[in-house]
Amino acid sequence: MSPRHLGSAVLVAIVALATGFVLAGQIKAQLLTPSNQLARYQALVRSVQELEVTNADSRRQIAALRGQIDTLESDAAARSAQTQALRNQVSDLRTHAGLVAVRGPGVEVDLRNGFPGPDTGGQTGYLINFQDVQDVVYLLFAQGAEGIAVNDRRITPLTAFSGSAGEVVIDQGPPQSSPIKITAVGDRNKMVAALDDPSALPGIRARQIQFQLHLTFQGSPDLALPPYDSSLQITHVSPA
Amino acid sequence: MSARPRSSGRRPSRGRGVSVWLIALLVALVATIQLRSEAEVQRSLVGTDATSLAFLIDDLHRANDSLDAEKADLTSLRARLQSGQSGAADQVLQSEADRLRAIEGLIAVHGPGIVMEIDASGLTALDLQDALNNLAAGGAEATDVNGHRLVMGVPIYQTSDGVAIDGVTVSPPWTISVIGDPNRLGLIADLMAQQLRADRRVRQATYRVEADVVIRSVVSAKPFVYAIPS
Repeated sequence: MSPRHLGSAVLVAIVALATGFVLAGQIKAQLLTPSNQLARYQALVRSVQELEVTNADSRRQIAALRGQIDTLESDAAARSAQTQALRNQVSDLRTHAGLVAVRGPGVEVDLRNGFPGPDTGGQTGYLINFQDVQDVVYLLFAQGAEGIAVNDRRITPLTAFSGSAGEVVIDQGPPQSSPIKITAVGDRNKMVAALDDPSALPGIRARQIQFQLHLTFQGSPDLALPPYDSSLQITHVSPA
Repeated sequence: MSARPRSSGRRPSRGRGVSVWLIALLVALVATIQLRSEAEVQRSLVGTDATSLAFLIDDLHRANDSLDAEKADLTSLRARLQSGQSGAADQVLQSEADRLRAIEGLIAVHGPGIVMEIDASGLTALDLQDALNNLAAGGAEATDVNGHRLVMGVPIYQTSDGVAIDGVTVSPPWTISVIGDPNRLGLIADLMAQQLRADRRVRQATYRVEADVVIRSVVSAKPFVYAIPS
């Protein structure tokens, strides 16, 4: 074999070897899996969207049912003083439980995602999370809030916050993400002063510096809170 | 004569050249497909990863089940009111008043649940708020910490003396009594206890599931000063 032929053969061998390595890498990386992953992912997203539609529909039905019950109770109360007295008690209790729309002076707090830093790796500190919302809600209640809504979802005595990075789930509602608007009705001056205090909300303040997380607030003489539109069931509690 | 060997030598060389080009083309094709596939997957998962979506689906299923139960209850309530039977409205209203008083922490209650004991130094109001939120997310229907009834809206904040609940300092050890689904609460309490034990500030974190937890503390009712029903 001439040196030229030998050179060609070596070149073919090298290219074939490279092809083999690439193919092996491809098989190892499961070339077909990404498309399957994509299909599975899209199926999951579709499921979430369908469940969210059902969720919104159920909440609309609950709001309508509560309205109808209120009308029926009102009709019954018009016929009896005793029923009227009971209805007044229940109305007051419903107002405190967040089942009735209220309005009054208060404060609006805006929370928005910041920006991922260049050296933060997989950290999600730049995203607004449910603990941030929880911290603001607790601060406002401690400083004179009488009613609070988060992105128009009313907070009740049984409210719980949950979610993953960048997602905030409140009770049985769908997940919400930045921007988050927290509206509180109550002692406006006290709430504004608390939000102005640089020592309050230390977790959010630190991330304002690190990730430019956005926290702004504004007092207002008249804010409106919607009624709670989800389940407020207690199935394990009995009067002692 | 001399042209033949040259000619015969060129043909295999051209064939090899074509092979090399074909193989090179194949390598480029496979590499491109590989890189584009990976880029596509990365793009699609930018928002939420599949695991988070699966958890979200689970949460939404549970939420929708709760909403269905609420709809069924409200429909039944409406039917009772529509029946026009004597005293039906009073019964419905009385039952609703009792239920709301329990939800708002205005009456003593009992039921199955858990009791958690946390002995620690240096825990803050944020720690207690997180613990209570975890339990609420686990279905807590009534909660008491060291004899103080807690519902969302009762102020919990940090003072120089420690953690205060509605103006009263609550020093550790904390005994958190919770009424709700004991299975769900047990799972939450177990996770919380594990996390707390890993915290250097915590000396002890235990819980027990009880068939009947009694909570006698109540929230004092405060009339609204600023909020007006609309």
